[in-house]
Amino acid sequence: MAAYLSMGEAHRRIGDYLSRVTNSISSSDGAALSSLLAVSSAPASPLSDALAAFPDFPRLAGDRFPHLADLLVPLLRAIHSHSIQRFADAYSSFEKAASAFLQEFRNWETPWAMEAMHTVALEIRLLAEKADRELATTGKNPDKLQAAGSFLMKVFGALAVKGPKRIGALYVTCQLFKIYFRLGTVNLCRSVIRSIETARNFDFEDFPVKDKVTYMYYTGRLEVFNENFLVADQKLTYALMHCNPQSESNLRKILKFLIPVKLSIGVLPKRTLLEKYNLLEYADVVTSLKRGDLRLLRQALDRHEDQFLKSGVYLVLEKLELQVYQRLVKKIHIIQRLKEPAKAHQIKLDVVVKALKWLEIDMDVDEVECIMACLIYKNLIKGYFAHKSKVLVLSKQDPFPRLNGKPV
Amino acid sequence: MAEPAKPEVTEEAKMDLLEDDDEFEEFEIDQEWDDKEEGNEALQQWEDDWDDDDVNDDFSQQLRSELESNASKN
Repeated sequence: MAAYLSMGEAHRRIGDYLSRVTNSISSSDGAALSSLLAVSSAPASPLSDALAAFPDFPRLAGDRFPHLADLLVPLLRAIHSHSIQRFADAYSSFEKAASAFLQEFRNWETPWAMEAMHTVALEIRLLAEKADRELATTGKNPDKLQAAGSFLMKVFGALAVKGPKRIGALYVTCQLFKIYFRLGTVNLCRSVIRSIETARNFDFEDFPVKDKVTYMYYTGRLEVFNENFLVADQKLTYALMHCNPQSESNLRKILKFLIPVKLSIGVLPKRTLLEKYNLLEYADVVTSLKRGDLRLLRQALDRHEDQFLKSGVYLVLEKLELQVYQRLVKKIHIIQRLKEPAKAHQIKLDVVVKALKWLEIDMDVDEVECIMACLIYKNLIKGYFAHKSKVLVLSKQDPFPRLNGKPV
Repeated sequence: MAEPAKPEVTEEAKMDLLEDDDEFEEFEIDQEWDDKEEGNEALQQWEDDWDDDDVNDDFSQQLRSELESNASKN
């Protein structure tokens, strides 16, 4: 590729790129600067050919624009390394350019360069991911994504201050979430969340909607992990409500977590929702709740175990078992009522044991008693035990209270 | 001669750690949409009053005959 390009032409192209960067800065053109900094999205540009043909490009940049050399020289190196697919090198150079850019950004009083700052934040994460993949395949320590996280904390610090730049802080927060979730260091989310949520001089609603949706998706997932289902419901419902309706894949991701949360508070998704967003792994779980079919719940958890574990919703779904028991006992109660209304509120534990045996679940009377005690304790059943006669006596009033949007 | 098993599997496993299927997709930097108050139609696709007294479904019918057949044996 380099052979087709004369030195003069290469020189001209590099000079042209540098002028465009410096012009966009001197004219405060954030959109133009932003697109010039998108290193990874212009893989086979005329510029990368020129950089390959003119290896002395660092000096060219340094001589022409000495006051911006700290930004421009590593930026060109990053573009060059990325185009020849040396991603770890590209990352290291880009991080240098990004630091120089952040330095400039701090000194600009208005937020005109916010879009460019966001592009830098996105690019550094994407480059770090590519670099880590490269490092992992060559047996080296993949530590670039972590480094990108440290850099983005500095960016966050520059934005999460009083003043007009604060509006850009949530975007960077979301980039940090993506890094922390990928690295499995979600506890690091806490300090940025605190900074976002305790700000007295900035209303959360004033952030851009795309950032609010992303933020609510990730903080909602954190609440799922912490088993705060009510807060998780609020956050994920917010994300669902405000997400771009065209963005099917993001809607699906929100629902993937919102569905187990809703199930845990006794609200079921309609079949049409599961079909539309291809979330049929939840179909049998929903059916098991409707029927009181413990066997089906266990089968569904078994069948999709890997998937549920990977997303971190397995434990949430496993806890639905109590609701399924409640439903089963309720069914037994209704069936008894049809046959012998006078005795319907007395459920012999033997009968429950038989129902479970039919569902291929082996449990003795003592184990069943234990589970019924748990259902009473959790207010899923109102009633008491006649321990000696091994009978569960149901309350005549509302023996099976609904969750009504409360967690078990 | 049989080649020894290549360590590809472990490399793939390592790569897998760097994947996140649940990562939220980037909205374009200048992407905007009509953020309606009533929200997405997905918000309407839920039921909270499903817990009825109906026992005419297949599962309940089978449960019923199971319990009754056992009862008659006792």
